[in-house]
Amino acid sequence: MNAITIIELGIAIIILIGTIVGFFSVIGFLRLPDVYNRAHALSKSAALGVLFVLVGTFLFFLFIEGYFSIKLFLGIFFVFLTSPVSSHIICRTAYRSNVPLAEISVRDDLKEAIFVDKEINN
Amino acid sequence: MAMQVLANLLIGLLWVFFQDDWSVLTFFSGYLFGLFVIFILRRFLPTKFYLFTLHAVFRLILLFITEIIVSSIVVISIIIRPKMNIKPGIFSMETTLKGDVEVTLLALLITLTPGSVVVEISEDNKIFYIHTMDIPDLSNSVLKSKDRFENAIKKVTRS
Amino acid sequence: MIINTILFISLILIIFCVLATIYRIVKGPSSTERIQALDALGIYIIAGVAVFSILQRSTAYFEVILLLGILSFIVTIAFARFIERGVVIERNNNN
Repeated sequence: MNAITIIELGIAIIILIGTIVGFFSVIGFLRLPDVYNRAHALSKSAALGVLFVLVGTFLFFLFIEGYFSIKLFLGIFFVFLTSPVSSHIICRTAYRSNVPLAEISVRDDLKEAIFVDKEINN
Repeated sequence: MAMQVLANLLIGLLWVFFQDDWSVLTFFSGYLFGLFVIFILRRFLPTKFYLFTLHAVFRLILLFITEIIVSSIVVISIIIRPKMNIKPGIFSMETTLKGDVEVTLLALLITLTPGSVVVEISEDNKIFYIHTMDIPDLSNSVLKSKDRFENAIKKVTRS
Repeated sequence: MIINTILFISLILIIFCVLATIYRIVKGPSSTERIQALDALGIYIIAGVAVFSILQRSTAYFEVILLLGILSFIVTIAFARFIERGVVIERNNNN
């Protein structure tokens, strides 16, 4: 049990945590009722899981192989920055193309706002 | 801020010229010296010392990371409940921030708070329409943490 | 090697995630849900490639990670605009 084995084990555990988080988020992706609720599961948990996996890979090649990969660092930065943006874009598109909310929804302020907007424009 | 960074790089380059020793280490020590010079002269500069802005940016990134971890724990604990009794809905929230950069950063941060996704922003950038998974609890937490986010963003952009 | 066992377990979990997103692509009632599933598919494939590059001890797959990250984002934006307005690139001819 030398130092490299311990580092490898820690990195493997980081990657396992990341995949378990991603697995839970995909369960939510299958269970939740509509597009807007699924965006919650995807924009946070899936992105966090992938971030754990990529950080684990980055640390592995940094410590074991001694290779600082700027490409992987850029990839981590890009995934972290773009996942909320893409989930926001998907929600906006869904609302504008009239995908209905799930039946259990209790409140919808946006519908009134868009309705008032259209009345003023006409 | 950009002018200060350029001046600092110039001081580092001058340091390398004066030492006549072309290595990264010399440039780095020159850069540190330039940082010290700008820190002394910070009262005579039109904008704030750029390390303070950098510190605020670093705080903002730290806020992003803590929010994403906390929010995925909350979302996962909702997902793996055997009976999901959630009350999703869209609510509106007003903001005092102005300008494209500030509104974009706030929208990113709100998307990362537990159970909330920004669906639409009104034409005049004042009202956010936010979708949440659970209306009474999670919308209150968004409204509570809004001031914290706005202060963190204002420290970066208005300095 | 215990690390290889753990990595194989996580690779199996990622493969299950990919299958679940493919199920959502096939089944999803509206086309917005299909775009969302494609986005998630890109993210999970990135994770799978990262785990695979550790299993192979090879740095040759990092370009794949970076390019898939960029391409899946751009594809999501382009499809979303296409569904929202019917065009991908807008030309302001009438004003």
